[in-house]
Amino acid sequence: MNASAEPSPDTLATLVKILAGFNKTGTELKPETRFTEDLNFDSLVVMEFVAVVEDDFDISVPLNILPDVATVRDLALAIDKILKDDGR
Amino acid sequence: MADLFDRWAPLTAQRDALFGEGINPFNVVMDEVLSQTEAMIGGRRTILVGTNNYLGLTFQPEALKAAHDALDACGTGTTGSRMANGTYYGHKDLEAALCDFFDKKHAMVFSTGFLANQGILSTLMGPEDFILMDADCHASIYDGVRGSSAQVIRFKHNDPADLDKRLARLADKPGNKLIVVEGIYSMLGDKAPMAEFVAVKRKYENVYLLSDEAHSMGVCGRYGRGVPEEAGVEDDVDFIVGTFSKSVGTVGGFCVSNHPKFDTLRLVTRAYIFTASLPPSVVASATVNLEIIKNGGVLRKRIERNSEQLHRGLAALGLKIASDVSPVVAVVAPDPVTAVAFWRGLIEAGVYVNLALPPATPFGYCLLRASICAAHTEEQLDRVIGIFAEVATQLGLIDTDTQKVAVRA
Repeated sequence: MNASAEPSPDTLATLVKILAGFNKTGTELKPETRFTEDLNFDSLVVMEFVAVVEDDFDISVPLNILPDVATVRDLALAIDKILKDDGR
Repeated sequence: MADLFDRWAPLTAQRDALFGEGINPFNVVMDEVLSQTEAMIGGRRTILVGTNNYLGLTFQPEALKAAHDALDACGTGTTGSRMANGTYYGHKDLEAALCDFFDKKHAMVFSTGFLANQGILSTLMGPEDFILMDADCHASIYDGVRGSSAQVIRFKHNDPADLDKRLARLADKPGNKLIVVEGIYSMLGDKAPMAEFVAVKRKYENVYLLSDEAHSMGVCGRYGRGVPEEAGVEDDVDFIVGTFSKSVGTVGGFCVSNHPKFDTLRLVTRAYIFTASLPPSVVASATVNLEIIKNGGVLRKRIERNSEQLHRGLAALGLKIASDVSPVVAVVAPDPVTAVAFWRGLIEAGVYVNLALPPATPFGYCLLRASICAAHTEEQLDRVIGIFAEVATQLGLIDTDTQKVAVRA
């Protein structure tokens, strides 16, 4: 992911809202928060979380992009790209 | 510099903490195989209730004879891939037998079921396409789609409405879509709502359906063709993948289809091209057993009867079973430590089942997973239920009054 680019504030805000329901470690949710290291997400949680993200944004998030997604910012950028590709 | 294996240190530490000394699932050895349902393990005669040998055909006399004959006629191995020197008359006969068995026009035989899934799923769909897979699919399906250039979307396990929602989001995208499900899921033994999935598939254009019938072939359907046959929707299942290592009683994998250009996959599927083909003896025994399975109504009745006996017996003890009556009976243990103690108690009393722990299991379940064999006798399963009762009582998972009632029942 492009570390210098910043995601849309709307995307980031929605993502943080969704993440609050999955934040079992009580970590402060920032763009640089890491899913595995900071939030202790395992593969099963990732799956549930991605499903909620898909429904909330009404998009398809392919598994293929997940290896490149480490932080909240990475995911927000990926969602922005999907929305753009969908012409939204 | 960190050692190459350091990144697995937490995993091995967890294993050591969980299992300590003594027998564990990673060091079980069958020192002598007594029959389809019994073996010597650790010097003890052990009832095997976790082998996926659903029809008990591993010692089927005609298959043994065919294997012996092929061994004498063709030798111990082909030493080549299907594309090079590894296609013998037996491999073609087996593919013809599969076409006949599934009533499909085309069949491809792979060296294992894992490779069949890995090969087909990594090859079939292109960069513009989409794969929609059930979230609980087997590791071989996950590995297959990981190698695919298509976009991969998961839908909720056994949830046609969730699939529908995800297909609807893709409806405007030009690529082809492939739905991937399994007939029966290995860990819990739960069955796909195949007719409902087919109904969803039919709502959209350019959608194909692939079903992995590894655990349902031989078990479901009048002729043992699996869940699509049982659900009456075979024509809508475009690709069936399966294995010879469960009901068929040997090893190997396959894919069958009516797609007119299916044979193209022989030119492009790496898991088919770049690995040695099955030995002639294996191929011969699989071919013979397909015919037995097709006419195996009696065996299917026995599986049904045995599944009901074990399911009912274990449920009556007060144990939690993860799904409805099925050839897989998965008992849920409260936590990994109890599950390990349960498993060890069983094997030390002469009952082998599979221990399955997260993340290999859905819902984070810790499972004592039993699979039924048509060759299990009523007495063997009674004994298995009795030993489950003893071990579960020792672990405080059930109370003794319940146990007495259950054993009498």
